Amino acid sequence: MYSLLLIGISIFAGLLGSILGLGGGIIVVPALTIFFGVDIRYAIAASLISIIATSSGAAAGFLRDRLTNLRLAVLLEVGTVLGAMFGFIISSKIESSVLFLLFGGFLLFSSIMMLRKKSDSHSNVDHPWSQKLKLASSYTDENEKLIFYKVANVPFGVAAMTIAGMLSALLGIGSGIFKVMAMDNAMKIPMKVSSATSNFMIGVTASATAGAFLLRGDIRPEIACPVSVGIIVGSWLGARLMPKMPAILIRRIFIVVLAIVSIQMILRGLKT
Amino acid sequence: MNTKPNLEIKISWFLRIGVIVAGFLLLAGVISTFKFSGNPFFVFQVYDKIPLQIGLLHHLKHQQWGMLLSYTGLIVLITLPIIRVILTAILFIRQKEYHLACIAIVVLLGLMVSFSLGFEI
Repeated sequence: MYSLLLIGISIFAGLLGSILGLGGGIIVVPALTIFFGVDIRYAIAASLISIIATSSGAAAGFLRDRLTNLRLAVLLEVGTVLGAMFGFIISSKIESSVLFLLFGGFLLFSSIMMLRKKSDSHSNVDHPWSQKLKLASSYTDENEKLIFYKVANVPFGVAAMTIAGMLSALLGIGSGIFKVMAMDNAMKIPMKVSSATSNFMIGVTASATAGAFLLRGDIRPEIACPVSVGIIVGSWLGARLMPKMPAILIRRIFIVVLAIVSIQMILRGLKT
Repeated sequence: MNTKPNLEIKISWFLRIGVIVAGFLLLAGVISTFKFSGNPFFVFQVYDKIPLQIGLLHHLKHQQWGMLLSYTGLIVLITLPIIRVILTAILFIRQKEYHLACIAIVVLLGLMVSFSLGFEI
């Protein structure tokens, strides 16, 4: 019964994550800890596995549609993998209560960021690193128009990805919101390319920590397998249902739910 | 010039097929270890790390094939992004983009170091 409930929640997390453009981690970790009472370290490890599954699936589609900037993704992955290493080392030294507080804080940040109106950034200047590595590229928008873009603030982007990688390892999330924000605001990359490139990188970031967690014994198949299967099914359903769903209404409801869950996680952190 | 789209499409197919294979292995693991009664998550309320090699040996000794299938699915899933990085490095070498190929190899080495941390701590 509990296993079925977990699969159901994971399907829901995958479905919602797919509609809202988020990973399922920010839904699965609170569900596992608050509803099932699972230790937050097991919840984080299980969530990382599901992130690899959804990111790899989504990355395949974005790569086919030529939205992912593969050259930029490889460069930024240096930062995310480095951050994931730091995050893994820190995770073994800190208490569960700190993880609850960090997770709660990140959820609150995510809900505030979701209120932000999305608009495309544009840079007239190509950073010297971008010129050297030919990171400037183009994509085709929904009107079949070819849009060219340049890449600004590359060193800042790599530094921001290190923080994103650390958050991913510590909290079992893809930290896509953080990655997209850095690429959009600081590096001036169009939103569609930022989202696709972020999704492409998430798998590698999560894999860096998931491998270490698996070897250490934090990834328990009894939790990770139902969560991953549920999230894969949910994401698949979400991608098909997306055009028929009232995404704006769901987004508004989700922001409220996220804010409530974040407060619960912070309170849990303060209690333990 | 044709190598770029070809290999990118191949990476895309590789990721898609990899997720499907891993998904089926994980599903087989879930079905074979499914518990209809009780709370199977009760034991995970307290953190107790059991290194992978000890866990695998235990399941092998007790012939718990469902758990072994689950672990196989997890390993397939975790190795997908690593193989993807290797394929990306090959793509850049074919395009004679040696700077980017070196960066991809640095990412690969980073992944290896990160994995090794799981042994040491």
